[in-house]
Parts: sequence; C-alpha cells; structure tokens
Amino acid sequence: MQNNSDEVLLRVEHLCQYFKIGPNAVTKAVDDVSFDIKRGEVFGLVGESGCGKTTTGRSIIKLYNITSGSVYFKGIRIAAGVKSYKDAISKARADLKAGTIDSAECSRIIAENKAAIKAANNDQKNCDREYSRKCVESVKAEYAPKLASAAGEELSKLKKEYSNELRKARNTRLVTQIQMIFQDPIASLDPRMTVREIIAEGLVIQGERDKKVIDEKVYEMLELVGLVREHASRYPHEFSGGQRQRIGVARSIIMNPELIIADEPVSALDVSVQAQVINLLNELRDRFGLTLLFIAHDLSVVKYFSDRIGVMYYGKMVELADSDELFLNPLHPYTKSLLSAIPLPDPNYEKARRRITYNPLAAHDYSVNGPSFREIKPGHFVMCNDAEFEQYKKELK
Amino acid sequence: MENKLQVRNLRISFRTSNGKVQAVRGIDFDLREGETLAIVGESGSGKSVTSKAILGISAGNAIVESGEIIYDGQDLLKISEEDFHRIRGDKIAMIFQDPMSSLDPIVTIGHQLTEAMILKGKARQKESRRLFNTYLKNLKNAMTASGVDATVAAESCKNFDKFEFKHIELESAYNTAHEAANEAIEDIDELVFGLEHGSDKDASYHIKDIVKETKSSVNEYVLKDDAAKARELAGSLSGLYKKDRHSRDFAELISALKSLGEILKSSVGKPVPNFFRMGYYLTFSGQPLPDMPIEKLNDFLKEYLDNNFMKAFIANAKQALRYSANESRSKMAAAIDAMKAEKGVFASENLVKKDCYDAQKRLSDAVRATIDNLAITKDSLTFTFSSSLKSELDTYFGAIKKNKKAEAVHARDQRRYDRQVKRGKKPTWEVADAAVTDLLMIKGNIAHLIDRLTEHYRENITADEKRDYDSETIRVIDYLKENASGVVAKVTRRVAKDRAIRLMEEVGIAEPHKRYNQYPFEFSGGMRQRIVIAIALAANPDILICDEPTTALDVTIQSQILELINKLKVERNLSVIFITHDLGVVANMADNVAVMYAGKIVEYGTSEDIFYRAAHPYTWALLSSMPDLDTNEKLESIPGTPPNMIYPPKGDAFAPRNKYAMAIDFERQPPMFKISETHSAATWLLHPDAPKVEPPKILRDRIERMSRGRKTDNAEQQ
Repeated sequence: MQNNSDEVLLRVEHLCQYFKIGPNAVTKAVDDVSFDIKRGEVFGLVGESGCGKTTTGRSIIKLYNITSGSVYFKGIRIAAGVKSYKDAISKARADLKAGTIDSAECSRIIAENKAAIKAANNDQKNCDREYSRKCVESVKAEYAPKLASAAGEELSKLKKEYSNELRKARNTRLVTQIQMIFQDPIASLDPRMTVREIIAEGLVIQGERDKKVIDEKVYEMLELVGLVREHASRYPHEFSGGQRQRIGVARSIIMNPELIIADEPVSALDVSVQAQVINLLNELRDRFGLTLLFIAHDLSVVKYFSDRIGVMYYGKMVELADSDELFLNPLHPYTKSLLSAIPLPDPNYEKARRRITYNPLAAHDYSVNGPSFREIKPGHFVMCNDAEFEQYKKELK
Repeated sequence: MENKLQVRNLRISFRTSNGKVQAVRGIDFDLREGETLAIVGESGSGKSVTSKAILGISAGNAIVESGEIIYDGQDLLKISEEDFHRIRGDKIAMIFQDPMSSLDPIVTIGHQLTEAMILKGKARQKESRRLFNTYLKNLKNAMTASGVDATVAAESCKNFDKFEFKHIELESAYNTAHEAANEAIEDIDELVFGLEHGSDKDASYHIKDIVKETKSSVNEYVLKDDAAKARELAGSLSGLYKKDRHSRDFAELISALKSLGEILKSSVGKPVPNFFRMGYYLTFSGQPLPDMPIEKLNDFLKEYLDNNFMKAFIANAKQALRYSANESRSKMAAAIDAMKAEKGVFASENLVKKDCYDAQKRLSDAVRATIDNLAITKDSLTFTFSSSLKSELDTYFGAIKKNKKAEAVHARDQRRYDRQVKRGKKPTWEVADAAVTDLLMIKGNIAHLIDRLTEHYRENITADEKRDYDSETIRVIDYLKENASGVVAKVTRRVAKDRAIRLMEEVGIAEPHKRYNQYPFEFSGGMRQRIVIAIALAANPDILICDEPTTALDVTIQSQILELINKLKVERNLSVIFITHDLGVVANMADNVAVMYAGKIVEYGTSEDIFYRAAHPYTWALLSSMPDLDTNEKLESIPGTPPNMIYPPKGDAFAPRNKYAMAIDFERQPPMFKISETHSAATWLLHPDAPKVEPPKILRDRIERMSRGRKTDNAEQQ
C-alpha cells in the first residue's frame, strides 16, 4: 500500500527492556531493537508469543520505564534509558584499573556519559511538560489578538473559550498522541462503566468539561466505528466481541492520535468479526492518515495489513523488510520457519506443506563472528554475521 | 471404515430467564473410525454445545429435546451417569481451548496426569468385584432354575470364585515381573546406544530405573536362577558410572550392561505356564506342583482341571445360558404384546395423566422382565426404556401446566409482532410458544421409543434361534476372568508414574523425569497444551474431541500441536472431532467438514468440497472474510450478527446477513440439497428454479490461484 511521506514519525533506537526476575537475574524481554515508522504507514511486528512484541509496544507508549535506548516521537525524545551510559562508565573505570586508558581519558568518558544520563533523565521526565508549555504558548498566541479586538458579550464568551482551551493545553501530554488498542476486548473495558464513560475518559482527563462537547464527540466516534448513538448508554457486556473491539478502537481514536499501537487487536475474535475490525482499521487509516504499529502473530493478517514487517525472536529483531519483499525473500532461518507454519485454506497445499524447524544453535555459528543488524538490500535488514551476509546476498532473488 | 459415532436429529435448548434459546436445531452427522471431522462456525453457532452433549457435560439448564447420539450401540443421551463414567475419559476424551485454565495451577503436572489413573484404578477395582460377584450369583441362580442340582450349582460357583483369584494372583505377579524385565531390556539398549555414541545424557536416571526394574523382575517363571547375579550386576552399575564419568570411557559400564541384558533376555524368553489351570491345581489338590518341564506341566494341569471341574462347569453354564435366554425371549414376546396394547394411550389427542403413568408402569415392568441377567453386553434400549419414557411424560405434563411468567412474555411478544404487522412491516422472526416444550414432538418421541423397542425385540427373537451357546459360554468364562483380574490389578503411584512419563515422551516433552514434578506455570503455552493432550490420552480413548485447541497459541506452536494431533491420530487410530473457527487449520486437519450456523449444519462435505467447491453463501462469506498471503482487495466481512436464538427466524437463519438472499429465504427453511455423494448444502440457491449465482470475486480469485498453484506443483513434480 501507499506511503504518504518519508517523514519519520516514530524512531526507536537501541531499545532495551530488562525485567528483574531475581536477585541477580534479568530477563531481556527486548534487547537492542531499532526501527522507525514513517507517517502514514502500517508497521507489522510478528513473532511467537513471549518474544517481546507486546513489551516493545508498551515501552514505546511509556507503560514501562525503558532500560536503555531512546524513543523519538515526532523528533522529540519521549523515553530514554540510562543503562548503556552506566555500563560505559563502569567499563571506563575497569579499563582504568586494567591500565588500558589513562585517567584523563577515563574522566572524559565519565563526564560525557554523566551528561548523557542527565539529559536522558530530563527527557524522560520533562518531555510532556515542555510539550504542554509549547501548546499553551500557541494557544496564547492564537487568542491574544482575538481578545484584544473583541468586546462586550462576545468578549466574555471568548474569554470562557480561551480559559477552556488554555486548561486543555496545560493538560496536554505528548504521549496522548500515541494510543493503544488492546488484545482482549473483554478484559480491557471496565465492566462498570458505560460506553460513553469509557470512550470519553481520555477527553475528561485531558480537561474537557463541557458535557455537550463530550457527547457530540462520543457520538461521532461511535458512528465512525460503525455503532449507533443508542449504544453510548450501554455497558460492555451487552456487546458482542467485534462490537467491543470497536469500542476499544473508538476509545483510542477520540484523542486524535497520530500513532496507534494495535496489540493483537483481532487475535481474540471470530474470523468473520476479524474481517470487520480489519476493514474498520483500514478505513480509519485512509480517512485520517493514521500511522499504525500492528502487533500480531497471524501472519496472513499482518501480510494483508502492513506495509513493512519486523520479525522478532527472543527480544531481538531478526529481519525487517517491506511486506511483499519479506514473503518473497525470507532470509533469516527463523523467518523461513515462521512462514512455513502459516496454515492456508487450501487442503492440497496443506497436505504438501512441510514445516521448517528453527534451532538457533544449529542454524548459526556465532562463536567467532557475532551477528549485527545489517541492510542487505535497500529497505531489507537482517540479523547476520559476515559469512551469513555473503550467503544471504547470494540467496536474494 | 465403520461408524464410530452417529448423531441423529439432535436438538438442544437452554432455559434462560428470557426464554428458550435453541442452540442446536436438528443436526445429523457420522464420525467414522480414524477420521477427522471439523466443525466450523462463528461463536454461538452451537459447535461446543454439540461436543459437550457428546461428552455428557452439558450445562445445567440445557434441555435435550430430541435426538440420538449413538456410540458403541448405546444412546449417549439416554444412558445413566454411572454408565457414562465408563465412557467419559475412557472412550471419549476432550482437549480444551485454553490450556492454562484447564490445568490446576497449584498441583504438579505429574500429579495431574496420574490423578485420574489412580482414581479410575480404584473405582475399577470396586466395580470389577461387584460385577464378578453379581454375575456369579446370577449364574448360580440360573443353573438352579435350569434344573442343575442346587448344591452342585452353589458348590461349583464357589469353587470357581476361589481358584480364579489364585489364578489372577499368580498371573499378575508374573506379568509385573515380565513387564519389568522387558522395560529393563529397553532401557539397557537405549543407554548402551547412547554410551557407545559418547553421550551419557540421563544416564543416572536410566541406571536407577534399571536397578528398580531388575529387582522387580525376580519371579518363579521369569528371573529365577540368575536372580542373584543379575541383582549384583545391577547394583554395580551406579558405581561404575560414577567411576567412568570423568574419564568418559564407558567400556566397563557397557560390558556390565550387556551381560545384564543377556541374562534378562534369556529369562524373558522362557515358556509360560497356564496360570488358570495352575490356580485350580494349587487350590484344590493340596499338593505341590509336580516337577516337570513347563510344556508337560501344562498338559498335566489341563487334564486335571478338565476331569475334576471344567467339563461339568461348562455344561452347567451352557444349560443356564440357554435357559435364561429362552426365558428372556418369551418375556420379549409378552413385552411386544404389551406395547401394542398400551401404545394407544400415548397417541390420543390429549393425554390423560393417570392413564399414562399407569400404562408407563405396566410397560416398564414388562420391559424390565425381559432383561437377561446372563447377557454380557447390556441392551441399552431395554435398560433406558422406562426412565426415558417417564422423563418424556414428566416433561409433557410439566409443560401443560400454565406458567404465568412465560404466558406474559408470550403475550408481550405477540403484541409486538401484531403491532409490527399492523404498521405494514414484515417481521423476520416468529413468536416463540409460551411453553418451552413442543408437545407434539414429545408425543412423537414416545411413539418412536416404543416402535424402536418393538422392532429391536422382533430382531432379537429371530436372531436368538441362531445363537451359538458354546462360544458364548467361553465368553462368559473370559468375562469372569477379566473382572477377576480387574479386582487384583492395582494402579499404584509407581505404575501410574511410569505410564505418565511414557505418555509425556509420546507427546514430545523433553526430559519428562524432570518435568514430571513441575507446575503448569513453568511450562510454555505449547507445552501446556501437550500436557492437556497427554491427560486426554491417558485412558486410551477412541474418540478425541478438540475444542479449539490451538486458538490461544501462536502459529509455530499451533502447527506443532496440529502435527502432534495428526501423528497420534494415525498411531492410535483415533477418530477426531475438531472444533474451530480458523479455516486454515481445518484445511490442514480435516477429512470431512461440517459448517454450522445458528444451530444447524448448513454445509457438509469433504475438505476439498468445502474449500474448492463451496456452495453455501455462509461458507463463501467465511472463506472470503479471512485474508491469505495474496489478498490485496478489501475483505468481505459478514455484516450484522448471528440471530438471537430465543426468536429463531422463520426462514433461513443466515438470510438477513446474506446478500444473495431471495424472498423464499425469509419464508421457509431450505432443506439439505445433495450436490454429490459426499457434499450437501442447505440453501435455496441449489434449487433447480433458483437463479445462478457466482461466489464472491475474492473467493473465485483465490480458488483460481489455488488451482493454478496445484498445476504448477504437479508440473514440478513431473
């Protein structure tokens, strides 16, 4: 499908997300993952369960504090981790002890990294505040001439509007422009809130107090996702699975997001309902020029829906390419094994299909030469070492 | 291939506070031996309800309105809960959708696997004792009645009881030892193979097993003369392994293993005495066994048994069997007459309560009298007749009573319906009756029950004349032997553990010894599903019901589990009912496919029929609503939702969501049109007068692509 522009909306650099699981043990849920998403495209993220797809999505939206790396949204760093800098400092100290660097070099490295840590912590904490300050300024700039020219009744009306806008601007968060759709529509909707409350919650938190405005927006969203106004006063249990997922979609698009992280939005649904939700997302995307990070394990759906696809395996990104390219030229053995496991509605094909198994120990020899993420063809990245790089190049059609 | 399971005209409803939900509305299908039948449909189409009815675990508010599920000559909808204990899990097993919620999180995997085995073992022991005793008592009574002297009959039955248990005791001791020796040989072979190829993986486990198994293979007729030597060898293994482990030179260990293997192999190959005869001799002769080779000993024992007991016992038993069968046959004739006489009572316009129940009592007595106590396979029709007749009558008279609330609901619906008609609208739904039950249908069921039994008895009477009482007597003795062995066979924790570990190996779990003591949370999703499969297979069932077993798993694990189910299906000759909504999975697994919608089967055929020549618009919609790897156009989703089954639609249930629907679809339900021998579909589009309609473009394109792909595949192969 089409790419509207080459502007990078989201850039993820060396993202690491570790979880402590014991006194001296960590799980590397996401380990050094980098990719970027252009405005208007759908980026698919696939991999088996437990490989870190969902964690990547949640780290981007700041549901976790990331361990290391940075996430840039619209060019602003919204999340940053400090582990890599800390590691660099301790490495410099160890080197100093070992005598490989002199003390001047060491203190230079330490100072550099300390500054980086400070900057990272600042960004992590204050990016939203700075963004809202900017919004406040723009609101002030917009209303200042209007207020100056208006008079009488119009002025008081305008003043009211101005204070409302100003409050909203103060409450604005940059991260609210990234929204999430969750996997399980039953678990992600509060059973004790009406649909109206669920959909409007984001607006209310943002500072909208005018009931009429809220209602108007809620109705608009409901109609947009194919529900009707009457549904607003119902509770989630009164809806079918597909309708519930539509409510989840409505809740996320009411904030006018630029990026939606869809975390397995169709996995829990029936086939026929799956098609409804996919068509809905497609429609919204065409209409608003939404950008999507689409996380799923059903490869047929991802292929159908995404422009580019990243394949993850145990916290690492092993292959990244345009979706057609990936299915035409799968290079990494894990991608091949994943593609060979897709069941298709074709009995004869199914009878002939042989699954390729992937065993990382047998498939790679990284004892001498470690792998890195390399571009093998414009837009096609693969995790490999030098020897494999040559071999993959030959395999390319 | 023979039919394993037949489902005929099954109707199931649920009683809810809003009215009666008709979940399954008259479905028929057959499941053949070794075949996979896939049931496909949206959620709420009645797939799971059907499978739960087969397993007898329907929800409490379910009403079975009519129908039969015939398995092994029995109607699963009518048999008692006690009979179901013998079928559920043992013969028909189920794999559930979510492995996490079908395993207990606070109990180890090993415990969960062995729990059922041990409980079933205990229950079987009690049950076998009961069956053995009652059968012997019935046999004694029948012998006396048939003219054998009462004291002789009592004596012979008592003696049989006595020596039969001696026999089983001897035999089970032998079997345990023999099995242990065989297992030890297997373990030795495996270990030697590993060691010779330089791997000592799991060696300590194997050595522990070998020591244990050698110990338990000591028996009079297995490991006798060399027992001391074998035990000494086995005892030395662990020391040798510890010594050799660091040098990684296992020559000494291997030679010790090999010589132990030789001893065991020679002891396993010994001739086997006949323990049945030996039991008699040891119990009644009062002398020790004569010292002679085993072949001669067997002949000697046979003569002794035949002359002293067996010939007379067989003759008496045969006489008893014949007498009892004749008796039952004459009762059957009487029952046929009784049924003919009473049938009119149930056929009148309005049933009279008192008359009906009186007639039911008389019929029940007549039918109960036909039961032949000495028949080994119980006749399910006879056994369930009185209870099913009574339950039908209860439902009938329960439904006649006016229920105020139901009436009110009915009146409200009727008013709404009339209002809509008045406004000139055409409602697409029907007003459901106030009573939850269809009285006419119950009458039909009763008539069917009586006719079926009459027919069955007629057949029995003609078949009885050709019965072979000699072979039946032998079967009776085998039956008694089997039950006696059931009393002695104990499923101990150790036996259960061995079986569980073998099962875990079979379903592809690595290091089962270690995994045995772990908890479900320590397993990944795919491994958990394997455990669930192992539990389902524990009792060696014939039919496996898989209720969306892979919906919660991702693609790679999904295809592993599907391969596993396919492998086990071939190895164990299982019949599989596979419930899913993922058509890709169906193409992989199924021989036959039934597409269900709103409680009915709308299309039935082989998987080629369904995927290449689908005929029902619902199947088209299902197929075209899922993307495959080459789909680029907009998906055809199915608009709307499935109908509310409290108000089942008058015509075709799919009509409101069907863009090919014709006027008749809203008026009348389509019958099943036969397209080919294997393929049929319920849609008016197949009627000769219907306009020709093409499947949606997206589907035609795909079929085109698939057939092109097939051709190129074939070309490549050539």
